[in-house]
Amino acid sequence: MNLSEVTERISRKLEAKGAQPDRQKIESRLRRLVEEFGVNVDEAERTVTGDLAREYNVTGIGSSSTELRPIHEIVPGEWVTIEGKIVALTPPVSPSIAQTGIIADSSGAIRFVTWARANAPAMEYGHWYRLESAVVDEYKGAPNLKIHSGTTISRVEEDTPLLPSITPIAELKPGVGSVRAKVVQDWDTSHDRMLQTGLLGDETGTIKFVIWKGDDKDKLDLDAVYNVFYATVDEYNGRLSLALNTAMYIADEGDIEVGRTETEIRGALVHIAPGSGLIKRCPVEGCNRTLSRQNYCPVHEIQPEFRYDLRLKAVLDDGIRAKNVLMQREVVEALTGITLEEAVSIAETNPLGMDEIFYRIRNTVLGRYYTCSGSEFGGRLLVNSCTPIVFEPAELAALLNRAGGEPA
Amino acid sequence: MKPQSTFEREPARRVFASELRETRYQFKDGDDEKSPTYVILPSGIRSNRIFIVGTLTEKQRQGDQNIFYRGRVVDPTGTFFIMAGSYQPEAMQQLARIEPPAFVAVVGKPNLYTTPEGNCLVSVRVESIAVVDRETRDLWVLDTARETLDRLDAFGTTDDSKKAQEEYGTQPDLYRKIVYDALSQVQL
Repeated sequence: MNLSEVTERISRKLEAKGAQPDRQKIESRLRRLVEEFGVNVDEAERTVTGDLAREYNVTGIGSSSTELRPIHEIVPGEWVTIEGKIVALTPPVSPSIAQTGIIADSSGAIRFVTWARANAPAMEYGHWYRLESAVVDEYKGAPNLKIHSGTTISRVEEDTPLLPSITPIAELKPGVGSVRAKVVQDWDTSHDRMLQTGLLGDETGTIKFVIWKGDDKDKLDLDAVYNVFYATVDEYNGRLSLALNTAMYIADEGDIEVGRTETEIRGALVHIAPGSGLIKRCPVEGCNRTLSRQNYCPVHEIQPEFRYDLRLKAVLDDGIRAKNVLMQREVVEALTGITLEEAVSIAETNPLGMDEIFYRIRNTVLGRYYTCSGSEFGGRLLVNSCTPIVFEPAELAALLNRAGGEPA
Repeated sequence: MKPQSTFEREPARRVFASELRETRYQFKDGDDEKSPTYVILPSGIRSNRIFIVGTLTEKQRQGDQNIFYRGRVVDPTGTFFIMAGSYQPEAMQQLARIEPPAFVAVVGKPNLYTTPEGNCLVSVRVESIAVVDRETRDLWVLDTARETLDRLDAFGTTDDSKKAQEEYGTQPDLYRKIVYDALSQVQL
């Protein structure tokens, strides 16, 4: 669409209301939004019209608060009118809040807050409402709909069936999201208020999930696939997580091939951390913690019936960044050529015991160049494969050119 | 912005011996007793840890009560002086075990030391050391060449390289020459 066409349309609208807008100004504002900020033309037209309407103090145009908008289109800073179904109600966290929850239409869903001062009628779970002149803002990085004293709420009587749109995990954004995913890991809860936590995955990636106690929520079964509708997507330290307390989840048939988001790094192993090599693990089911030298598990105390394992905790460094890496038994065996069985028999017959394995592994890999790939977790790369880097004469030639080439 | 809570390990910079030998400028990042000490390398980057691979040509045991080991590690451009004392028991035992000549990979901290005569010496306090093979040495030369060229390409655009310009009057072309010479010693 041509911007001057849009400019003309906006000017006419304003002129019809008796204002005398500057066409150049309108066009430059549009251009700025479209070209600099990548706003689509329709949205830019709306924004500029609304802004100018306010500036010239005219009403009845632009401010689209009476024009019904699909929820997934609305962005922070707008006054909007939407129609949606209340798909979750959550306990208010403060007495100044009357109601919080999630409202959804067929295009998407958004969290909302009704201020106590708004004196708005309480909305009921599962019913459709029309909200006029609500304000969208941002709370903790997620869009949030504020219902204030100027918002008109009216109940929509017909109940349109609503099918939430499923988002691939890799495309989730802070706010509200629905996924179809498999429970790939079930972790120990780290908090008394937590009912369950773990990892959900679909074809595009994985995400941490949490269910807090107190909403009569059920736990998810490990390895089962669920449709999770309207979970809350939070962001913390740049990582997303899914809170399922607002969500409805239904077990689904079938299986999902969970996609791992693989990271690959090249570098030298510059540090082999203590706790690498042959280790002992707690045999209590579901524990698997590393035992101390005295066979002591931090949870289950002394465990004489431990089982052995091999692992490598190290730092892979490319000269720019040092990255912690963790390799499990299979990767360590392939990398060092020592199998777990061999390691155990060496350790049992050697005067240095398990330390001997640590030294052997360290001497094999320390200071050497590798390409490691795996999934990143908590600032650490869980390595799925690790291959030595080999010398490429072509690289030498390229570097010679770079170093000796004509001055740029 | 970097979150305060997450500790990030200092990367080990790749540097050739002839560049490290020119290093004179050391500073502390912060006033705290435990603040890290950095050197500014002439090619224009701060470093408090380096990674080198070269040939250990000799080692000596020194001291009576406080035993420590010194060694010389040679790369295509010159010699690194390394040392490991009782504060690095693992590194010291490792170094004690290695018989020169041998290709070694060394991770350590660069240290500036001024002799009573006023000469400035740079040594590397070893954190860890291991015997490696020739291929690893060659890979290291490529790696170090690449990183040095990257630093020279960015020379004058970063705060650290402006500081290096001020302290050393670095001429990037001189270091390009060093890189070129180092690379030409790697056999195809």
